[in-house]
Amino acid sequence: MIKETNKIIDLLGGTGALAKLLNVNLSAVSNYRKKGFPDRLHYKIATLCNERDITIDSKIFGEFSSTLPAIDTRPLEILSEVSIKVIESLTGDDFELIDPPVLVSADKVLDRLGENIADKLYIFSDPAGSRLCLRPDLTIPTCIHYLNNGFNGVKKNYAYHGKVFQFQNPSSNEPNEFTQAGLEIIGGNSCIENEIEVFFRTYKSIEQSGIRNFNIILGDVSLFSILIDVLDIPIIWKDQLKAKFWNDKNFKILLDELTVKKKVNNKLFQKISNLDNDTAEIFVRDTIGLLENQSPVGRSLKEITQRLIKKSQEIKTDPLSKPTVKLIKEFLSISDKPLQALKKLRSISKNIDSRLNSQIDSMSERVEMMLELKVDLKNSILSLEKGRMVEYYTGFLFDFNSSDLRNNLNIAGGGRYDDLINSVSDENNIPAVGAAINLDRLEKIISSEKFK
Amino acid sequence: MNSILLALPSKGRLHDQMNKFFESSGIILKRSGGQRTYSGFIKDIEEIEIIYLSATEISSELLKGNIHMGVTGIDLIEEGRTSASKDVTLLSRLGFGKANVVIAVPDHWIDVENIRDLSEVSSEFRSYNNRRMRVATKFSNITRNFFTKNGINNYRLVDSAGATEGSPAAGTSEIIVDITETGQTIEANNLKVLEDGIMLKSEICIFSSTNDIWKDIDLKPVERFLRIISARSEALGNAELLFDYNREDKDLEINLFRDFNSSFVNGSPNIGESVSLITPISMVPSCTYYLTSNGYGPVRTTRPDFIYNQDSRSWKLLKNSINLK
Repeated sequence: MIKETNKIIDLLGGTGALAKLLNVNLSAVSNYRKKGFPDRLHYKIATLCNERDITIDSKIFGEFSSTLPAIDTRPLEILSEVSIKVIESLTGDDFELIDPPVLVSADKVLDRLGENIADKLYIFSDPAGSRLCLRPDLTIPTCIHYLNNGFNGVKKNYAYHGKVFQFQNPSSNEPNEFTQAGLEIIGGNSCIENEIEVFFRTYKSIEQSGIRNFNIILGDVSLFSILIDVLDIPIIWKDQLKAKFWNDKNFKILLDELTVKKKVNNKLFQKISNLDNDTAEIFVRDTIGLLENQSPVGRSLKEITQRLIKKSQEIKTDPLSKPTVKLIKEFLSISDKPLQALKKLRSISKNIDSRLNSQIDSMSERVEMMLELKVDLKNSILSLEKGRMVEYYTGFLFDFNSSDLRNNLNIAGGGRYDDLINSVSDENNIPAVGAAINLDRLEKIISSEKFK
Repeated sequence: MNSILLALPSKGRLHDQMNKFFESSGIILKRSGGQRTYSGFIKDIEEIEIIYLSATEISSELLKGNIHMGVTGIDLIEEGRTSASKDVTLLSRLGFGKANVVIAVPDHWIDVENIRDLSEVSSEFRSYNNRRMRVATKFSNITRNFFTKNGINNYRLVDSAGATEGSPAAGTSEIIVDITETGQTIEANNLKVLEDGIMLKSEICIFSSTNDIWKDIDLKPVERFLRIISARSEALGNAELLFDYNREDKDLEINLFRDFNSSFVNGSPNIGESVSLITPISMVPSCTYYLTSNGYGPVRTTRPDFIYNQDSRSWKLLKNSINLK
């Protein structure tokens, strides 16, 4: 049983012979002597040793080989140079490379992503009758990996790469399966440092991949919800604004409606508005025609009663003032180079509650950290609308787009989703931040850039 | 010569209604071999080959572009349509199998009357219960499209094999989307249809696939067939009003068209002529009242069996849809 890298190199014929076998430079092999074999060569080395009847200890291939049986066994050799570069730069020292499940519960995916993604999923039943789907991304499978290992809030840094499956309109010429590489930090604290770690590794990987023209869009959806929280407006309008935030069209309609005094009234509202909670529930139960110990179909008596009370208050509540609506619209329309956007944001928010300002401070801090890390933000934008249409992130988020092609293709994206674990399991919210790069698309763009 | 494939429903009520329609149109369907085979042809238009399939199969074969024409429901076409589907043209409504695809909620939900309410409730439901509201249905595509259009995202679809109306009471879903002719089953199950909850008005129709399947096809027999279908289906649901045009009124023609969706068979009438007006059945009482109170009468009404126009609507639709490609 051979336990040292040096011994293996010697048994395989020494530096020169191995360099030839692996088709690499001599200097590369002498690096292996110092640092061990890189992940992408593990399969090759194991095969070579196998052919020569050399028995080697699994320690040679890193510490996790013995504890984690399910490492990605697909040989990295079949990946392109660009992909290998990206993956190596993503994984690094303290990110554990995992191989999350390809088959995941269709219900979990739909619970997380909503029904709108259903027409992109490959859903089927297994012989036991469970509804499964091929993973449409690697974030949910990574969470499932985390949950299966019972880490329960402990901080884990994961890296992964692999195929994901999304049905595309055949005429779009987009592939139905493509390779993603990415990272997740699950558990620990919900802190800026983790966000910047994920962001910066993604940035570095993309920068090193050789792509020439790309831009970054930054956002933070929590800024909007904090703005609404601290504004001096009736709470029922707050709930509605937050609920409709995710759909631009409906949000605009709502804003217009909230500036006009509600007139719709009915007997139910009139009666219920004078009752306390308990009497109101009894009143609703009688109106529905339920007996004392019966509950309504589908929703609880409390849900129905509370909504009726809320609706009855709408009529009595003052509409939103014009300046408030203007403020909300201005706030959401901010989209500029990060430092300029922050400046605008501060000038809009200067007379508003300090909770909003401390959230803006966090965003400034992120931008400062990026600048310290020498992230090129020349072509970047901070947009307060970013993240609205996807209803996926809960705070900071970012996108990397190619800026060379006419259609501005997305090559990577990520951010914070602290509700992720909760939405695929019964566990409470566990902080999570992650990012994924579309390797196939990145590569395509790089090669098209070369032709120009 | 390539044959023209027409798919017809193979069994059930739909099959019987379809047979009745063809019989009343004077189109005679023949089975090749015995009564039990699943293929046939039309007597006197033998270039059209008939295959008998289920209504769902007919819709999916049309959407894949494997057959030229087929008789099936609008609901099944809309449900089967995906981003990958071929275009399908509605050539003619056949006047039967009318039903609506509707959203219904438990009638215990006294705070929910319309889709707006439902949208609010679906968001609240998620925060109360930490899961999305479940919608039981056989029509996942139609539901998804409709909900997206109305900005509802907090829901989950639950496949329902049958007896969808029972699932809220059984606790397997909160609300349903189902097809109904009269709404009676929905009411009987203590559910109510939302005010604006009609997602789709369905009917049995004859459809065509719009793609290169029509290449190298001799269209003469299709024209003959569609002229009959068109004439028959245009007669259905319409009455013919006969009266003497004995009083000059320049605005009569336009008023009849605008207010009663009615038009003269032979164009603008001349004074003293006996004229024939085609009027939708539902308009007959109001239209005859209008005519008689304007001094025309007596107005006699009959039900036409066929209305042959110089230009057959179905044939024109088919021709245009093929030419587009």
